Amino acid sequence: MAFFRNKKLFIILIGVIVLVALIGFSLKERSNLTTAEQFVNDTVGWAQHIIYAPVEFVSDIFTNIDDFRDTYKENQILKEKLSQYKGLIYEVQEIKEENKELRNLLDLKESESLRDYEPIQATVMSRSPERWIEQVTINKGKQDGVKANMAVITADGMVGKVQTPSQFTSTVKLLTGFDQFNRISATISREKGEGKNIVGMIEGFDEESNSLLFRIIEKSDKDVKEGELVFSSGMGGVFPAGLPIGTVKETAPDKYGLTKTALIEPAADMYEINQVMVVDRSIATDEKTEDKEEE
Amino acid sequence: MKRLFLPFFLFLFLVSEGVALELLPPSLITGNLLIVPHWVFMFLVLIAIFYDKEDTYYSVLYGFIFGLLIDIVYTGVLGVYMFSYALVIYVIHGLKKMLHGNVFVSILLGIVGLSLADIAINVIYTVAGIASMVWKDYLLYRLLPTLLLNLVFLLFLYPIFVKRLTRWGRDQLFSNNSL
Repeated sequence: MAFFRNKKLFIILIGVIVLVALIGFSLKERSNLTTAEQFVNDTVGWAQHIIYAPVEFVSDIFTNIDDFRDTYKENQILKEKLSQYKGLIYEVQEIKEENKELRNLLDLKESESLRDYEPIQATVMSRSPERWIEQVTINKGKQDGVKANMAVITADGMVGKVQTPSQFTSTVKLLTGFDQFNRISATISREKGEGKNIVGMIEGFDEESNSLLFRIIEKSDKDVKEGELVFSSGMGGVFPAGLPIGTVKETAPDKYGLTKTALIEPAADMYEINQVMVVDRSIATDEKTEDKEEE
Repeated sequence: MKRLFLPFFLFLFLVSEGVALELLPPSLITGNLLIVPHWVFMFLVLIAIFYDKEDTYYSVLYGFIFGLLIDIVYTGVLGVYMFSYALVIYVIHGLKKMLHGNVFVSILLGIVGLSLADIAINVIYTVAGIASMVWKDYLLYRLLPTLLLNLVFLLFLYPIFVKRLTRWGRDQLFSNNSL
């Protein structure tokens, strides 16, 4: 019994037990935070909002100075691109109308397209100082319609998914922190003459080569070329189709030689994220449609 | 009213930790180095040395609370920072009895404490399967740069807070010896 009279040791022991229990509690799959956690997140988010304003102001001044230097060169390039885009806009309009007509012919309703989504604009407020955990906080939460597992994109492409929404802020897991529990169903599209679309899963992030691992499933075409664009395919049930993820850097066979893995360079910059969009897929997710069918 | 100063400053450091990485040049973040701001911890070390008396454990309590807040806000894995901060601050509190409170002791205890805390955090994350880094790489790419950056922060805090902390400690802790 002398052991139990040693108060300090006893407290440390209880601490270890509490630690293990808490880690176990927080590591299991959960999409909803406890009310206390949500409250803390929102409070800190509110304070960050206040602190972030002057910080952003100062860092904006520096970026502006940098921007001024390149303005002339960029202007030239942009002018060239603009003239190209004019042609593209016309083409896109044509294709959109044709698409609409064809959909009508097939009796597909516009709203059921996998591609449609409604964006929720948000600003990144902070990045987790703990570098093992690739997580940023954005200033939109449940009150703005953000739900767990929604895709988060920038103008360049996908950056991650909503991990846990609080009432007024949410945490976003970046693509660089994805593992085998957070897969994205992805595709490389091919035109008709060139064979089938290549489908597969983004299965994680490789720290050494700084690229995403895209596992191509067995039956699809395996001759992936460098520089091809990878998009989300919308088959996973959460993300809409057609969000750009990245470009192919190189391919390698996996351990058993059955499947091929392609290294994908992310399209979006994961380190300088400011403005993001949370993507709310218009089509109901699988669970909801199943529920309806049961009724 | 004065009792709220310490939690207020700790909260301020907690909040600015998240914004800190935006301030550093991006080359530091994209490179190999993993720099982790432990500003709350550095302030806790100062509290343990200069604010607490031998029989008061406010610094450990604050370490516990603000460690938990860091866990909730920045990592989502509860308990890791809470446990490491509270335990290491307790050790620092024990060590300071043997040493006199001055700038060199603060640096020494800062280095020892931060190494212990960061290693403890890393061990827990490794066991939980979140971090995976060879020890040699960890020491070279994470521990050393983190130590350097946080020591700079400690030296920045020292002249601002030491006299105030001592004064607050004298005013608040002698009036009633609770906890």
